[in-house]
Amino acid sequence: MTCKICGKRSKSEFCERHSEAYKSLLRMYDEWKKAMDISWRDYLKEIKENPYTGKWAKEVAEYLLTSEMKDSSR
Amino acid sequence: MKTLLLCEKPSAARRIAMALDDEGHPLEKKLGIVPYYESRRNGKILIIVPAIGHLYTVTPKIRNRDVYPVFDFEWVPRHEAERGAKEIKKWIDAISKLSADAEDFILATDYDIEGATLGYMILKYACGGKEDRAKRMKFSTLTTSELRSSYDKLLDSIEFPMIEAGICRHMLDAIYGINLSRALTVAAKKWSGRYSTISTGRVQGPTLKFLVDREKEINCFVPLPFWRINAKVEIAGHLFTIEFEKKVIKSQKEAAEIAEACEGKKGKIANIEVREFRQKPPVPFDLGTLQREAYSLFKYTPRRTADIAERLYLEALISYPRTSSQKLPKSINYRSILESLIRDSRYKELAGILLNEKDLVPNEGRKDDPAHPAIYPTGNLPERKLSVSEMRLWDLIVRRFMATFGEPAVKQSVKVSIDVNGYIFYLKGRRVLKEGWITFYRPFIRVEDIILPPIKEGQIVEIKDLSIEMDFTKPPARYNPSSLLKRMEDEGIGTKATRAEIIDTLYTRGYISGDRAVVSELGLDVIDILDKYCPEVISVEFTRELEESMEKIQDGNEKLENVLERAVNKLTPVLLRLKKSEKQIGEELSLAIRESRMNQRIIGDCPACGTGKLIILRSRKTGKRFLGCTSFFKHSCNVSFPLPQKGKVTAAGKVCSECGFPMIRLKLKGKRPLVICVNPNCPGKERKDSR
Repeated sequence: MTCKICGKRSKSEFCERHSEAYKSLLRMYDEWKKAMDISWRDYLKEIKENPYTGKWAKEVAEYLLTSEMKDSSR
Repeated sequence: MKTLLLCEKPSAARRIAMALDDEGHPLEKKLGIVPYYESRRNGKILIIVPAIGHLYTVTPKIRNRDVYPVFDFEWVPRHEAERGAKEIKKWIDAISKLSADAEDFILATDYDIEGATLGYMILKYACGGKEDRAKRMKFSTLTTSELRSSYDKLLDSIEFPMIEAGICRHMLDAIYGINLSRALTVAAKKWSGRYSTISTGRVQGPTLKFLVDREKEINCFVPLPFWRINAKVEIAGHLFTIEFEKKVIKSQKEAAEIAEACEGKKGKIANIEVREFRQKPPVPFDLGTLQREAYSLFKYTPRRTADIAERLYLEALISYPRTSSQKLPKSINYRSILESLIRDSRYKELAGILLNEKDLVPNEGRKDDPAHPAIYPTGNLPERKLSVSEMRLWDLIVRRFMATFGEPAVKQSVKVSIDVNGYIFYLKGRRVLKEGWITFYRPFIRVEDIILPPIKEGQIVEIKDLSIEMDFTKPPARYNPSSLLKRMEDEGIGTKATRAEIIDTLYTRGYISGDRAVVSELGLDVIDILDKYCPEVISVEFTRELEESMEKIQDGNEKLENVLERAVNKLTPVLLRLKKSEKQIGEELSLAIRESRMNQRIIGDCPACGTGKLIILRSRKTGKRFLGCTSFFKHSCNVSFPLPQKGKVTAAGKVCSECGFPMIRLKLKGKRPLVICVNPNCPGKERKDSR
């Protein structure tokens, strides 16, 4: 199996690096919700645009947004 | 009767020869390319000959680079083991020849592990087993007075425990570095068929691991929002910024409630807290603190600082810089140093102030070094015009030396609490009441006072410009060469002499780049692989354990053979594991190397199509290099730009301010790098040409 983002060999949907970034995204969403009223999608958009977001976290956010768009258009 | 004095470098030999010659004019001679000096002292003839650093090195008996594990190592002349070290043979031959006529031998290399080890090897191999007979000169500065006194009080023998520790360090570095690097390089070569050196080592691995861990943290970082309440207070017609009691408000709702409650309200001075405190002078420089200070003030890399300091030492302007000590013993004679420095107009007044003191007591730090004191100026003034960087570093060392004798600075801080509708804001002021040591350390310390007007408790004040500011948490900072050096020091890995060099190697191998050490794909993969197959070799504990063993050897509490045996026993299963997984490792590394090479060729975004990247290519017809767009291969962009054919071209990491095209960094041998816009029609270039 290969990572859906970078194409590296992986055991699941994402490689180890992007899995870590994904976990970080999930963990931080709870904190964002406590801080302000925000939906998952808006959260991903904010994260994607934020200059402080790490490269891998940004790639995961971008991937999730695109795949969500694909899902909703189906 | 002749005595052979063996020095570490030609410039040190010259200074020692001049200091020891009765007339101060030794005879300058040459044997082939090797300079040496003949001095006469008290009727004795001294032949003073320099080395050029290490003349011997550790190498595996099996030279084939594809073979590992190898545990059989030997000391050989460097020219037999290293390419480009041909001249070493001439030095060894010259020293051998000069030693044949000598009856006595004195080792006058730097008094530290490296100096002792390199001297021992020359005495043993080039001089034909004179290591047991040799006496030792011990000095921390190359001043005439110290060199003469060191010659008069020769130590009876060279420092064997230190040498044993030095040999152990070289052996361990070779055993680890050569075996692990061979394992990785061979794996990649077998898989890809191409040779590229992939190195790691006993200290290099754990150091790269620090960087990789931080890089991963940064790459996975998700910022969190927080809010701040900003406001100003008007007192006596002046506006001052005030801070809300909570620096960080984690919820947007809470921030809005606070702002609403404070908007348009007046404040009441609830409390005034005045605190006076004393700030002790800085401690004298050891090499690490000097490197960090030079980085923070002048942005010099640790390696550059070490090199400049070495030059200043060889000019007898400062004491031996490769020291861990933060102590200045009385024996260096503080007063005579200050009395000499007073001859320089810049230090006249400051040195004069100190000389008027009855007692001079430096504020020493905790770190100590049995071989050398902290770095201090010798009091000698430059004999030639120093370069800007040399002058800056010397000035820093002189002022730091003087500052350590200064009195503590007395500072005052004022914290005013302002109650605004039940919420507290702080107004902060600070000033220096008595400068003390700060006077001596200017301009290397900046003190900015914030002086508040007279305020009384209960006073009503006007609050202005109240606003809410949204901000985000920031990722941890990347290491820079200075903070990385500090981390290595704190973790106890490497030595003061090797740390800067190891950081440099990480750059040359392409594992990191830029001032803010960004880890490359290759660096990430090397650590991932080592972590997966042999985590012990990148563990700090393991390296630290070896460092401690070497210290024990130096103290005479451990034997070289035992430490080497333990190291080999630990390394053998690791190497077998690597061999077993060679194919997989080779594949992973080869992909990383390919990606890294590709990334090195990418200069920036294509300004024509906006989707492709500009990449360095070579013309099949002419063999010349040029920049082309990656979208060319998809037949959607055929833009290309010419490139200079000589020198190393890399991405400058920025775009041209004139035309927005990517910029390249061109490095020609022996010249400073140039940053050039790739656009041949750039308006900036046209303007320059018309001038």
